Amino acid sequence: MDIVAERKKSSSLIEPAIEGQLQAISGGSNFDDYNSPLFVAWQLNSACNLGCLHCCEEAGHSMPDEMTREEALDFCKQIAELDIPYVAISGGEPLLCPHIFDVCEAIRNNGISLKIETNGELIDEQTACQLAKLKLRSVQISLDGATPETHEKLRLRGDWTKAIAACKYLAGYGVNTEVVFVPTKFNIHQIGDVIDTAYSMGIYGVYTGKIMQIGRAAKNWDILCPSDEEYERFFDVLREKTTAYKGKMKVYYYPYDVIEELKYRLECPSASLLVVPNGKVKLIGPLPFICGDLKKQKLSEIWKNYKKAWRNPQVIEFAKKVIADPKLLAESNNQKEI
Amino acid sequence: MNFTEHTKIRKEKFGTVVFDTLTEKIFITDQIGGEILHLIRQGKGLTEIVNVLGDSYDGDKQLIEKDICEFVNQLKSNNIVSA
Repeated sequence: MDIVAERKKSSSLIEPAIEGQLQAISGGSNFDDYNSPLFVAWQLNSACNLGCLHCCEEAGHSMPDEMTREEALDFCKQIAELDIPYVAISGGEPLLCPHIFDVCEAIRNNGISLKIETNGELIDEQTACQLAKLKLRSVQISLDGATPETHEKLRLRGDWTKAIAACKYLAGYGVNTEVVFVPTKFNIHQIGDVIDTAYSMGIYGVYTGKIMQIGRAAKNWDILCPSDEEYERFFDVLREKTTAYKGKMKVYYYPYDVIEELKYRLECPSASLLVVPNGKVKLIGPLPFICGDLKKQKLSEIWKNYKKAWRNPQVIEFAKKVIADPKLLAESNNQKEI
Repeated sequence: MNFTEHTKIRKEKFGTVVFDTLTEKIFITDQIGGEILHLIRQGKGLTEIVNVLGDSYDGDKQLIEKDICEFVNQLKSNNIVSA
């Protein structure tokens, strides 16, 4: 008896993905072979209490046509029906969405792994307790500095002390808490201190990688993008910290930029969908293309569209243009139907 | 044996996908690996799994047992199941 993995004969269970979060999520067999996505990234709302200079979603105000509570709950039902194992909810700031807990409960009641990505500013002790009851895979807090000045320079109207307090409340209630750090010219030198701070708060893992030239980050690129030398030092620190915290706290960094990611995805699209607040389904963050609309179509139909869309000449041609001229990434949030 | 808290498994036409959503690592295995995973999900222990698959497949039972043990050890070492 052989246990065969993928198309290779082997007597082992294999890990087909290359090391790294995005690859791991979407790796495995060809995405065409999957009956449904393995992962859904869901931007629940557009409203945000902050105005971050590097916001990929250009969040701030609500979209007029965002999914209603009923539409969102129907989507949750479809996620369960298609046996999708893992969902990540973000925004905007998802905790501003009035039905976020209804949505989270609907997902968790079906045993689906759930991560919430938040700026943490609305997480007081009571909310942390409420989140703990959901037994989430994790809550991910954005921490873009080891000091209030640095964090708040990037996260306009942000309050570093609230993000720190959120981490402490969550960790205190036993919630698997992660910190995400986006490096920019303003804060890249503080990565080591952010990692140390995270460890001191009982954080499960720190995630980082190169800033993505998407949305508002693309518009502010010249003032945000670190130099090659700064990135070199940044990755040196990350390597040191990864070793220092081995077995104590996960330090994860994705070494590729958005263009490298896009090149890879053209060859190997992921088995995942990105849902934006109005129910439209994007092909991938850096491209503007929409392959479905949850207000009008079933998720199963959209999954079929998604598979076809990656072979659409319009998509391939535009993606190649973006790869040649990354400034086009600034158009990533201008939704285009295909 | 139980699946670890954040492990999800799903049957596909090419086999079974094992998704450790905590580490965000994906593993795949073939039909027989999928059967073992299904039996684990039903709460079966190693002896029961060996008996079920031994009855279902022709071949030397000792070899089948060896293969199943190896597979289960891989599941444990990848933190997909706990003892």
